Amino acid sequence: MKAFKISCHSIVLLALLLAGAVGCKKTFDKEPQQVLDEVNMYRDVYDADAAIIGLYGKFVSLADKYVLLNELRGDMLNYTDNADMYLRQLSSHNVTADNPYTNPRPFYELILNCNDVLKNFQLMKRDNKMKEAEYNQRYSDVGALRSFLYLQLGIHYGKVPYVTSALATVDEVKNKANFPELTFDALIDSLILFTEALPFKDPYPAGTTLNITSDGYQTAKFYVNKKCLLGDLYLWKGNYTAAATKYREVMETSTNGTQGARYYMQYKLGWNGSAEDHYISYSRAGDATSLVWEPQWRHMFQRGQDNGFDYEWIWVLPFDSKFQPENPLIKLFSPVGGDYLVKPSKQAMDYWSNTPQRPISGQTGFLPYDARGIFSWREIGGKPVVMKYLYNYINYATNTAVNPLQKNGKWFLYRQTHLHLRFAEAANRAGKHKIAYALFNSGFAAAFPPPSGVTDVTLYHNTLWEPYPFNFDARNSGGTGVPYYRADWYRNLGIRGRANVQDYTINGTDSLLQIEDGLIQEAALENGFEGTRWADLLRIALRRNDPAFLADKIYQKMLKDGTPDAAGTRARLMDKNNWYLPFKL
Amino acid sequence: MMKFRIYQWLLIATLAVTIGCKKDWDQHNTVSDVNSGKSLKTLMSGINNLSKFEQLLAQSSYANILGSSKSFTVFAPTNEALIALDPTITNDTSRLNKFLANHIADLRFLTTDATDTLRVLMLNGKYNNFFGKKVEEANITTADVVGSNGVIHVIDKMVPNRLNIWEIISTTNEIPALQQALLLKLNYQGFDPSKAEQTGVDPMTGLPVYKPGTGIVPRNKYWDRVYDLRNEKNQYTFFAIADDAYTTQLNTYKPFFVTGNADSTNDLAGYTIVKDFTMPGLYTQAQLPDTLLSKFGVKVPVNKANIVKTVKASNGIVYVLSNLSIAPVNKFMPIVLEGENYSGSSHDRRSNTFFRDRINSTTGLPYRDVLVSGHGVALFNLRYRLSEMPSMKFKAYWVAVNDFQTATFTQRLAPGVATSTVFPYTTVAVNNQTEVLIGEFTIASFQQVYDIFLVGANSTTAAANPVVCDYIKLVPSL
Repeated sequence: MKAFKISCHSIVLLALLLAGAVGCKKTFDKEPQQVLDEVNMYRDVYDADAAIIGLYGKFVSLADKYVLLNELRGDMLNYTDNADMYLRQLSSHNVTADNPYTNPRPFYELILNCNDVLKNFQLMKRDNKMKEAEYNQRYSDVGALRSFLYLQLGIHYGKVPYVTSALATVDEVKNKANFPELTFDALIDSLILFTEALPFKDPYPAGTTLNITSDGYQTAKFYVNKKCLLGDLYLWKGNYTAAATKYREVMETSTNGTQGARYYMQYKLGWNGSAEDHYISYSRAGDATSLVWEPQWRHMFQRGQDNGFDYEWIWVLPFDSKFQPENPLIKLFSPVGGDYLVKPSKQAMDYWSNTPQRPISGQTGFLPYDARGIFSWREIGGKPVVMKYLYNYINYATNTAVNPLQKNGKWFLYRQTHLHLRFAEAANRAGKHKIAYALFNSGFAAAFPPPSGVTDVTLYHNTLWEPYPFNFDARNSGGTGVPYYRADWYRNLGIRGRANVQDYTINGTDSLLQIEDGLIQEAALENGFEGTRWADLLRIALRRNDPAFLADKIYQKMLKDGTPDAAGTRARLMDKNNWYLPFKL
Repeated sequence: MMKFRIYQWLLIATLAVTIGCKKDWDQHNTVSDVNSGKSLKTLMSGINNLSKFEQLLAQSSYANILGSSKSFTVFAPTNEALIALDPTITNDTSRLNKFLANHIADLRFLTTDATDTLRVLMLNGKYNNFFGKKVEEANITTADVVGSNGVIHVIDKMVPNRLNIWEIISTTNEIPALQQALLLKLNYQGFDPSKAEQTGVDPMTGLPVYKPGTGIVPRNKYWDRVYDLRNEKNQYTFFAIADDAYTTQLNTYKPFFVTGNADSTNDLAGYTIVKDFTMPGLYTQAQLPDTLLSKFGVKVPVNKANIVKTVKASNGIVYVLSNLSIAPVNKFMPIVLEGENYSGSSHDRRSNTFFRDRINSTTGLPYRDVLVSGHGVALFNLRYRLSEMPSMKFKAYWVAVNDFQTATFTQRLAPGVATSTVFPYTTVAVNNQTEVLIGEFTIASFQQVYDIFLVGANSTTAAANPVVCDYIKLVPSL
């Protein structure tokens, strides 16, 4: 053994060094020893369920990141005076590599967890610890979640390593020899290939152990919708008919069984004349002060998991004081009980204030703004606040916290308007302009009306001459028409119809680009702040190979809010390479 | 060898734990200033030229205060500065106290704090302006002598104990008599619950019961409506005009305040003249612009050549001018009544009332208006309440947007009473978004409370009797 000599001086020196490091640390803290060993983790289907709940539990902690990356980089959200330099960077597209909000590591941690779970599910199937059907459902769910995460990474980082094997640590991903970075386009190809091959693409059926009620929440809406995801992947890829086909399958989710509210409403954007509706409505039409706050449109962001919620939402995860993690969105958005780090941009406010509502029938005057803006943001104590995420925390009538310490809320990921807008985007690109127009304006019956005086609607209110997935039947013969029709889509309102705003104006002959512009604007009005804005802008800019489409919108946001260097940001965004964040694990 | 290593590590660990939390920084801010331990009282005796001020302090009630442990700022005048002190003050303890208190402030203010003008609250309740090396008109000759309980600034002049503007108005003859009399006539007795003696709580209402006769405080309409000129904390510039100029102005304004007796008319006209004579902030003669804007939005032309007297106050400045006249056309502003802010209606028709948000196509500006339609009442009206309406002729305008039906309809303005026929029915054209002149009407005598009615047609038919209004504008016709 080598002699180990330490002089008195060095001992003291070392002690001082330790003193600095140890300082006042509680020397006698101990780590708990109850840790489950890996070999005992996957014994039966209940362990598999626990693994999936664990994955989604971890997924929820990405909520603030998801919202910031997708909205703050877009044109509808801006930072407040309270925001740190990193949030400001994100908003102004000038991100340094040390920015914690843009570190992809949390995504990869979850992806590696997914990989590990997928590997173990395969082992369980091999060892007959899970039935074939159970395996198919669970494997597909985890696989789709991973694809969703990769799609997000592709949207924000462009070139990312596509890792599908189970690794122990994220640092191994850094090895570029083993995991070369795929371009966004190649990544989407890989994701389509993998996701399309998943054996089970429906939600967990009723009665299965993952479709239950837990802590007062139905778990059915927790899981990624694989068909929506596939539709999105095809839409990014530019395979429009395939995308529309996937979306259409989701739109027809409830076209079975009794022809009641669920049949006509769920994912069909239909009316019911009940508390499940999500209209913009006035208790006295024409009186601006009689805007209905509850139920109706605003209520979809607040309501519990009732039928109205079920008909509207496709993918949403709850935050509740009863379980971890704590709601990070209150901290981001709320000046009450939060840090108020981000706010609606003037650009976003202008979208709503420049969209007029429909006149009452027989009148020419109309309210000059879109009332969805009133519900999407409002001023609290003189500060503009994004409200969609706060309706479970802040009482809309008093602007104060319902219970300051119970930071309940929801992470909104997908609802029927996302579905319809993207179906319309695909249909529009597939040449079905009028179908796209019908879906985001006033529905099929309004877009394909019978000539005046004609009461036989057999040849109208429908697109049945089109091949699937573009064949819709919305025939409604009314009370007196013969023959009698109440077709599957007869209650479809159209997104602008439901929101009581005037139809989007199309001038001239080039409907393709105009309708696409209209769809993206409608996504802002209807789904603003719900975490899809950047992706929507990026997808169109990529498809049209038109950097100005994206750059101008960000430029307008910065210009209107007085953010410094708007022109510099626009110049940066005119270069496609700057659309993506620096990838540094 | 192994054993030795263990001992070494043990020693290191022990040292680490013992050194770890030690506060090493205790000593780094030890005081080194020699004066710091001494009180202001001790320090002052060490400063040349302050013996007279010290002696006055010893005579007064503030003899020992500078030795106490609170924190003070003392503006100490030199012996030379105090030669001019009125001996009657020296001999009267209460006046002496007030004089000295005007040189001592609570809290410590250094000259480095006074990079912008500080209003320093002195012990006598007045505020002195402290800026750089100046306090009021006095120069600081020796600054920032810091002791254990504050700081001393030696100054070359006394800081005189001034009256505030209201005291000048009410207790001296500095301002002309007519205007003084008018301002004092605005006095009244008010009730201040914080000064009243509470004797119990009304068991029925839960409200406090006060002892009769307590809590009565003097008030003045000028304090309530214009500015409270007693307020020491803020500064004001107050104008007064010579009696003859005042009389001329009074005669100009009397016709607008026709009442049953001459006194009331005089008071109302007088108040209308003086209400625009106070400006927030202190304007020195050099800073005075030729036109100021009063609290009521009235342009006040000030000709510096007309200034005959300047009186400094503790809370501002008073100028007496030979003339300062404001024409009625500048004094009486147009009145705008927002349609949706009506005070009442002839029938409760909330369910037929629509508050509408629109953008005016002429101005491009957003507005909110009111429409009552389908109410089923003949001569339905909305009432707009005005107060203190002068006796004069007005031009009436409205903006009424008929964008809800293709037929025109009629409505009318009824000043005073709902049945007034001063104005005929006016047709509301389709989609006219511009201001429409309805006509002129005269209010014969001053009215404390005055109503204007917007009256619908004498019909119960929905298409004929709507009432719609963005705003009604009354422009004084002078």
